[in-house]
Amino acid sequence: MWRLTPGQALVCREWDGEAVLYNDLSGSTHLLDGAALDVLFALRDGPADAAQLAIRLAHGFDTDGGDLAAALGDMLSALAGLDLIESC
Amino acid sequence: MLTVGMLAPAELRSRLSGDGLVLRTGPFTNLIRSDVPHLIDTVALMYADYPVEPGGGFADFHLDYRRSRGLRRWFRSQVHFAYDGSTPFQPLPLAQAYPMLEWTMNWCVSHRAHGYLIIHAAVLEKHGRGIILPAPPGSGKSTLTAALLGHGWRLLSDEMTLVRPDDAMLVPVPRPVSLKNASIDVIRAFRPDAVLSRPVEETTKGTIAHVKAPRDSILRAGEPVRAACVVFPRYEAGADLALTPLPKARAFMELADNCFNYQVLGARGFAALGELIDTSDAYTFRYSSLPDAMALFDRLAQGAA
Repeated sequence: MWRLTPGQALVCREWDGEAVLYNDLSGSTHLLDGAALDVLFALRDGPADAAQLAIRLAHGFDTDGGDLAAALGDMLSALAGLDLIESC
Repeated sequence: MLTVGMLAPAELRSRLSGDGLVLRTGPFTNLIRSDVPHLIDTVALMYADYPVEPGGGFADFHLDYRRSRGLRRWFRSQVHFAYDGSTPFQPLPLAQAYPMLEWTMNWCVSHRAHGYLIIHAAVLEKHGRGIILPAPPGSGKSTLTAALLGHGWRLLSDEMTLVRPDDAMLVPVPRPVSLKNASIDVIRAFRPDAVLSRPVEETTKGTIAHVKAPRDSILRAGEPVRAACVVFPRYEAGADLALTPLPKARAFMELADNCFNYQVLGARGFAALGELIDTSDAYTFRYSSLPDAMALFDRLAQGAA
């Protein structure tokens, strides 16, 4: 299961499918694609694993839940590496 | 309003070598003291149109430039800089006193003025549209800036774009424009009207000369402007003119990398930069011909790329 790292307010700006996000814990700014931002906002609704996230996000992606869950694995690891999310 | 140019030479010397000249540059007051004769002459030339504030009040920056004492006064004499009584830099050859004044005045703003988000970038305005030119040394930013000043553009800064955190307005701090090496003769030829300081050779940046800021830009230093464009310029000999749109999120990251104090301001800096990018179109820009560049920037001033 993954959750937003406590303290992350997800302060961000999005333009043309790309976003910049202010990391409240590190003070860094990250350049993210729109899909990564969708994942972060989906986790705002509560902790989830990749399969549950895929269901939450399915309406916004042109793929079925199974493919999406597999693709989410790398993205979740990358977001955890930035301390934006953590396992719980 | 009293300006440096209204002071008789003896009065200017007396203030600089005595209690100090309180010079206003944009939102800042600089208390400057010096006993270096050619520095005083160059200040008289380059800062003639700048306001002089009364002595005895608050000054943001206290800057002191003194000649070497003792034997060193006559043998390879140097200029020693002190800021608020401390000496953050090594002395330089006496001939480099004026470039040192400009560099240290920049340093004061970039290291102390954290009430603003400060981007390492030139910034100009025409028809109410602010254009920011961030670029590393060697990109032709200052050459382009000096050229544009002869084509109706107002100088806000050649070196530091001050962004007001609350509303992302660009605050002018117009100062002389620094030219290096071949750019000096390029601007002499392109803008015969430009007033340049005497070139100083063998600095760490090569030969340096400064272009006096236009009088109108100094008079309008109290008028902030909204950003309309962020243009990352690059001079490339023989290259065709090319203006290429840059996605806003990438322009944001590039601008953040070019800030002196983005990390210092934290979330406030993020918000200010976001608001600035919201109102701006962003481009990369390659040029080799100054006349072509002038024509393109005029189109940007009209709101058309």
